Amino acid sequence: MDYIAEYWNEVIYKYYWIRRIDMAKKRSKKVLDSVLNPQGLPTHGAKSSSIYLKEAAGVTSDQQGQPIPEIKPFTIAPRLNTLDGRTVYLVDIGFGGGYEFLKEMQGWFSKKMPGVKTVLKRKAGNMFMDDPDLWAEIKEKGAAVVLGVGG
Amino acid sequence: MTSARFADYMKQDLQTFGMPLRLSFPPYPVVGMPVSVLQQYIEGNDPVTGKPLMQEVIDALTKPVTEEEKKGEFRIVSRPRLIKPDTEDNLRRLFLENGWTDGLPVILPTEERVAEMLKGTSHKPDEVVGEMSITDSEAGLEYTVEKVAAIAVMAGARPEHLPVILAIASTNETAFPSSTTSFGRMIVVNGPIRKELGMNSGVGALSPLNMTNSIIGRAWTLMTINFGNTRVGETFLGSQGNNLNYNNMCVAENEERSVWDPFHVQKGYKPGESIVSLFRGWSVLNSMGATNQRPAHEETVILLKAFCALLSAATLILDPLVAKNLKEMQCFDTKEKYSQWLSENVKIPAGQYWKADLIYAFVLPLAQQGIEPYATWYKLPDDALITPYNDPRNINIVVVGGETNALWKTTDFHYTTSASIDKWR
Repeated sequence: MDYIAEYWNEVIYKYYWIRRIDMAKKRSKKVLDSVLNPQGLPTHGAKSSSIYLKEAAGVTSDQQGQPIPEIKPFTIAPRLNTLDGRTVYLVDIGFGGGYEFLKEMQGWFSKKMPGVKTVLKRKAGNMFMDDPDLWAEIKEKGAAVVLGVGG
Repeated sequence: MTSARFADYMKQDLQTFGMPLRLSFPPYPVVGMPVSVLQQYIEGNDPVTGKPLMQEVIDALTKPVTEEEKKGEFRIVSRPRLIKPDTEDNLRRLFLENGWTDGLPVILPTEERVAEMLKGTSHKPDEVVGEMSITDSEAGLEYTVEKVAAIAVMAGARPEHLPVILAIASTNETAFPSSTTSFGRMIVVNGPIRKELGMNSGVGALSPLNMTNSIIGRAWTLMTINFGNTRVGETFLGSQGNNLNYNNMCVAENEERSVWDPFHVQKGYKPGESIVSLFRGWSVLNSMGATNQRPAHEETVILLKAFCALLSAATLILDPLVAKNLKEMQCFDTKEKYSQWLSENVKIPAGQYWKADLIYAFVLPLAQQGIEPYATWYKLPDDALITPYNDPRNINIVVVGGETNALWKTTDFHYTTSASIDKWR
């Protein structure tokens, strides 16, 4: 009689696990329709990298219907006709190697374009800090600026 | 100009500010390169564009502005509240492939689960908790109580964990601010909430052996990934990463076995308040039973010299046995006295101090502005001794451990902020 009990145990065991696997497969195929998007929401601020406005004028709300404040893009300054006779500021922002690199750039200008005056400067503070005094000096005395080297 | 390695990051950064600046990319790295190599960079090509570098610089300053540069291109990014319906397997794969997880399995934040989680707080689901970004230049992404609850579900939290997670979220701080240096973080919880949640402050408190310690730390990482706009190689640039970010050293202080005031009381909170405090740094040194041959405070002096002492910051994590020994045998009645003693007794040569890269980047500008004591230190000869941990208030002490041995950890972590957990109940 032992072998009959053993046989039925095997049948019940196999049936139980087949049922379990089958139920798991059905669960995994079930469609979930209410899972939240975990990502944060763009702030619509002027410097938001996640929100862009197509043709800035005229768009007043995004696809979620949230109002967007008026955002005006910056435009770059007009370019110079030539660098000859002009003053170009070379500004080290503070990352390692930047000053040495710009010093070599200054050397390049003095050899290859001696008509360009270059002024090599270190920005005040660390790489993340503003330096309004330097920007004012460049606006007053310079025609162009090379800012670097990031990274 | 930015080195070629950060070209994509820079382009994106300019879009952040809506500024179509002209860029040039010298080869990478620039730091530490001899003059001969820098000259080759100048004479050679921009590795991103293939154009001669100096011609590119000249063109950037002289070629007329194009119509496209005048306009700037913008587009709308959609962030719907719910993900498109799909099977559980496919959604798990979506979360993983979209970079919304830490690589480990998450519990999908269905509306039902999030609604259950929201029972852990009295605050409304649409209340804005804060905004964060892992970079300094990109705008933060906003998140509501509901968003934080969704993250809490993903991390495997229960409703009772939510106030702690919300408190961390309210600081706007990220678990891994983007830096090539790869920051580590620490979370210390004080007050009655530790016992309410069954947090571990004893044996193995810093090991992955306690659900609450693990979940809260993990939730901060998941929030940083999703709210901090973390994109590996684009916004996150940690060269090696930091393994501490898996759970951010989330731990409860062992207030019951400590001979000193809890950390949050030192920061001005009442003992009965539940507070979470955050720390940031890079490195952790273990003491390895050193008190057998040398007292703990003398050994700590040696360990602290290994760090660059950026802005005088350090955090010591002491087993209660060490704290008891320091108080009863070495007469450091308070944490403040011990910090003061360390501040006065850790001395290194000025040359060693100034040659550390972080000191060069962040402290040298202060010396050049005449700020003391850095201005004086900068004028000293290389072999003159200075006390780099000049501000004892920046040497933090937290008591954690189960008293199986008198051990401690010395870190270069500095304290950043604390937040009330009770506010979010």
